[in-house]
Amino acid sequence: MFELRAIEKRFDAVVALNGAHLHVEPGEIRALLGSNGSGKSTMIKVLAGLVNPNKGEILIDGEPVEIHSGQDSRRLGIATAFQDLSLVPTMSVRDNILLGNEPCNKFGIVDRKAGDDLIDALLARFHIDCDPNAYVQTLTPSTQTMLEVAKAVSLKPRLLLLDEVTAALHYDEIEVLFSVMRELKEEGVAMIYVTHRMNEVFQVCDTTTIMRSGETVTEGKMSDFTLDDIVYYMTGQRPEKGDGTAAHGHFHAEDKTPLLDVKNLSIFPRVRDLSLRAYQGEIIGIGGLQGQGQSEFIRALLGAEPFQEGTIEYDGRSVAFKSPAQAVKGGMGFISGERNREAMFPLRTIEENILAGKVAKGNLFAYMTPKSNHAFANDAVEKYSIKIGELGHPASSLSGGNQQKLVVARWIAMQPKLLLLDDPTKGVDIHSRQEIHKILRQCADEGMTVIISSSESEELLSISDRIYVFYEGCVSAMLSGDKKTPEMLVAAMMGMTGGSQTSEEGVQS
Amino acid sequence: MSNPLAAQQLSASQRAKMFIQKSPARMAFIIAALIYLVTIIISPTSLNPSAIGSIIMLTLLLSFASAGQTIVLIGGGMDFGVGAVMSSAAILTTTIMNGKDGHFLQLLVTALAMGAVVGLLNGVCTVKIGLPPMIVTLAISNVVTRMQYVLTQGSPMGYASPTFIKTVTSRLFGLQFLPSIVLYAIIIIPLVYFLLNRSRFGKQVYLVGNNPTAARLNGINVARVQILTYVFSGLFAAFAGMLGAAYMNAARCQIFDEYAYNSLIAVIIGGTTLSGGIGSYTGSIAGSLVMVVLSNALTTVGLSQPVRNVFMGLIMVLLLILYNREKKVRQ
Amino acid sequence: MIKNAFDRFRRSPAFAGFILFLVALVLNAVLQGPASFFTVKSINTLFAKNAPFIIVTVAQSLLLIAGTMDISCGVQVALVNVVIIMAGQTLGLPFIVCCILGVGVAVLASLACWICCSVFRLPALLASYALTYIIKGINVMIMDVPQGKVDKVFYKAYDSQILGFIPVSALFIVGVLIIWLYVRHNRFGTHIYAVGANPRNAFAAGISPMKVQLKAFVLKGIFIGVAGICITLMIASGNPLQAEDYGIRSLSACILGGLGFGGWGNVACAVFGSGFYVLIQNSVYYFFSLLVKLIPGFAVTSYWQNFVSDIIIFLGLLMTIVTAKGQRQALKEGIVRQFRRSDRHYDEPTAAKKGGDGNE
Repeated sequence: MFELRAIEKRFDAVVALNGAHLHVEPGEIRALLGSNGSGKSTMIKVLAGLVNPNKGEILIDGEPVEIHSGQDSRRLGIATAFQDLSLVPTMSVRDNILLGNEPCNKFGIVDRKAGDDLIDALLARFHIDCDPNAYVQTLTPSTQTMLEVAKAVSLKPRLLLLDEVTAALHYDEIEVLFSVMRELKEEGVAMIYVTHRMNEVFQVCDTTTIMRSGETVTEGKMSDFTLDDIVYYMTGQRPEKGDGTAAHGHFHAEDKTPLLDVKNLSIFPRVRDLSLRAYQGEIIGIGGLQGQGQSEFIRALLGAEPFQEGTIEYDGRSVAFKSPAQAVKGGMGFISGERNREAMFPLRTIEENILAGKVAKGNLFAYMTPKSNHAFANDAVEKYSIKIGELGHPASSLSGGNQQKLVVARWIAMQPKLLLLDDPTKGVDIHSRQEIHKILRQCADEGMTVIISSSESEELLSISDRIYVFYEGCVSAMLSGDKKTPEMLVAAMMGMTGGSQTSEEGVQS
Repeated sequence: MSNPLAAQQLSASQRAKMFIQKSPARMAFIIAALIYLVTIIISPTSLNPSAIGSIIMLTLLLSFASAGQTIVLIGGGMDFGVGAVMSSAAILTTTIMNGKDGHFLQLLVTALAMGAVVGLLNGVCTVKIGLPPMIVTLAISNVVTRMQYVLTQGSPMGYASPTFIKTVTSRLFGLQFLPSIVLYAIIIIPLVYFLLNRSRFGKQVYLVGNNPTAARLNGINVARVQILTYVFSGLFAAFAGMLGAAYMNAARCQIFDEYAYNSLIAVIIGGTTLSGGIGSYTGSIAGSLVMVVLSNALTTVGLSQPVRNVFMGLIMVLLLILYNREKKVRQ
Repeated sequence: MIKNAFDRFRRSPAFAGFILFLVALVLNAVLQGPASFFTVKSINTLFAKNAPFIIVTVAQSLLLIAGTMDISCGVQVALVNVVIIMAGQTLGLPFIVCCILGVGVAVLASLACWICCSVFRLPALLASYALTYIIKGINVMIMDVPQGKVDKVFYKAYDSQILGFIPVSALFIVGVLIIWLYVRHNRFGTHIYAVGANPRNAFAAGISPMKVQLKAFVLKGIFIGVAGICITLMIASGNPLQAEDYGIRSLSACILGGLGFGGWGNVACAVFGSGFYVLIQNSVYYFFSLLVKLIPGFAVTSYWQNFVSDIIIFLGLLMTIVTAKGQRQALKEGIVRQFRRSDRHYDEPTAAKKGGDGNE
């Protein structure tokens, strides 16, 4: 068995782990849960040898061991599939999987034949359909994630660590993953599974350890917990039923002109033929399985990606923005769920991050007074209750939820006509999420139009007035009023546009 | 991960580290002072107003050349064209003025136009080709250098005008330690400060340097901002080259080429990072001071050229070790 | 089959460099006149004069692949030259021993750079620039003015051909490439790419980036040593202040050949890139001597030659936009193929589910 005891880790002045513990037995799948910044990923990195704990011990079969590097971790029978992937994009699939583990002949030359057999078997086991010689960067994110897991499994570990691997996977790939996990369980492999998706936890895990701000709060059998319990331990609060942001069911007269009217849009390669309308003051939800063209659609509206066919009518004129700068000028705002990559400026101060929207618009060589900047940032922090140390601290000092609130505040303060959000609450804790919903609803009531894509059905159902469901680059259904039910949504996401009226309505509107 | 510890819990070494990281500019000033102190101890005669005056002169010259480099580096680029533009501007100065007064305006327009064109070329090629900025700007600066030789047949003519020389090298109020180049600093330094810290452009430069993807999606015209940083670099380098020509009186080809590296190192010592998004002009001025004081020290102490080179290299390595280390792979 | 192989090559990083190289080769042959270009003598001169630069570029490419660089390569070559000559002159050692000593010194210099870049984690560009100062100083301390000589046997041998047509100087290049080829098919050959592209991920896979970079620097030191031997045989004397620009020129030759910073490209890029560099300078020389011959009274300084060749090199960099476009296209095609595949993946379970519903 594997055990971590009283682990402490400090990054300069920030405590990531504070006496956390965790143990897992052979043949056990343990869910490691906690909201953002609770230290789950740091725990995984300690076991993987990427983070050196300040205090605490690691025991394997009762013996204390030291893990100083990825090599040590591998030698002790630990393999890790990382959330942000450990594949090298400019190397081939084959080289990536064999990396650090290449079979060699007696002259020290890498034995290609032996490697090929290994890889073919592995790709077949995970149902991955790709050329072993292809560069990893040419693969889709979901295939890359499957490879990441396959690579970890290929090491034949005693302990397998899976850090939020399902976030980018299609549901059929998740099925494959779970069946492999069950096989490994039979073989006596211990597994630690980190995820934000609760239904998966109940589906596949035996036991759970829940963490909050760097400490282990509770652990036990999965069957002893309900969803409410888990949320309670993760956040320290019982979840409220009905968060007061429920859609009011706006209805619009047909004669009113829409703010946004998209017709027959096609974006290479994912979006084929897409039509959508949004009226002033509406919250439009965009649903669908991963990768059905949601983010491409939003980026095409913003001008971040070119579209090939169709028309976009916005604010009374036909537009095809060539860059986000133009779209922002035209009164749009964009909030991405990929915080680190697409929204935050981690090295810059909180104030500058809030100001980023204001900075983007206007005369390049205009004087910006420090006083007004300060006031602007202070207003936003107070109005949207963002928890910060000081405005002058770097933005990286904020927790994930507060970072996302900051990004939302950045745009709301600019009062855009149309706000686009691409999975904005991805990896955001429940509390911050509810606050973000409240802010959005408020803005819509004041006349802002909001288009929000989300990977979570509950979020869509609770916040949006109407939901467009994407399937394979087309709108498979438009749900509003009574039709806005979980069942309808799921059916539409699978491409089963059962109720023919619904789909007609979708086309019609 | 946001439980900040109280400051007193930090160890002394951590506090020292934070002090350096907090203000590399302050640190650079301290280092410069230390180096100067050592120089004075070894050679007490070097403490005289005219030596201080020449240190100020060279520091300001280097800091003008570093101004553009600072902006470019913060915006996530790198400009190796600074040296070539300076040399070209110096040659333009001596050629146009030819030792006579009355051509200043003509020179200013020509030199700045030349700087802007080279900067624009640097910017457009770097941003549009997508190759490492270092390689692209180097290739362009090679072409610019070759052009100096072709146009002057290897030996530039003329001198800077007497009045212009006076505005750079004469001493103010008869004070030996106060060269009149300070008057130019009164214009340049606030200008750079405004550009970087008070204008919308400056804010955009910092954001673009830190995270270009986010900046683009946020509605910032990333390409335009980056190209502009190179244009400013060309402008500042051209101006510095003009003043340099006045300081040297005559010019030759490649006269200021070493300013390409020296400006880069001065900016880095001042706390601006190679990866972009962080830095300040105050730091660059401090870095320039360190470079000038260092080379002054090596000359004053009276070492032979090769030994001086070895020392210069060793101290540069030490300075880099002091506070320009990249992050460890393992935390 | 051939078309497939060509397609693969077209997408490989070395393709851009290959096209540039080919263009330069044809240009050179045409301007010099094929009859005089394709002679043993002219080919021999080409190799003999440029072997050091080509080998330095190969050495530089190793470091680029490993995610670092060393612009002090040039002065290191001069260091080897100085050490070889002075060891013979003052210690009276036989030439071969001097050469081995020279290689050893090159490896030491390389290690100094490794300590700065990998152990102290300094930015490679700046650290190796600082090293340039140090090594240049040491060079002059060892040998203050150009002097010394090499035994006639050795430099004659360097300038001769085996079997009457293979230049000995070319064998040095081939030797270096064979060493690389062996290493490429070692574990190290994959690890160096992983470390260059993403040190963190390489570390997570159980590879020590520092050790891999150490090996790369040692190998580069050996290659620099060989280049130093070549340059000694070429000029048959010692000069402490030569070849300094090799450092930065080898870097742009690598980029011209299609190498990227960190884990992208291969040694073929370096060979094509340096070949382009060399041939363009040659071509421009012949172009101007042709002009002198054709236009009576036409006289031009070498400044023009340098100007034109630097412009062509800059245009060569611009050319990479075109080839990069080709590679982007390849990337796009790859992604489309996967979409087709994932579509198929989708249909299966959905269809199964629908079927299941029907049965009920």
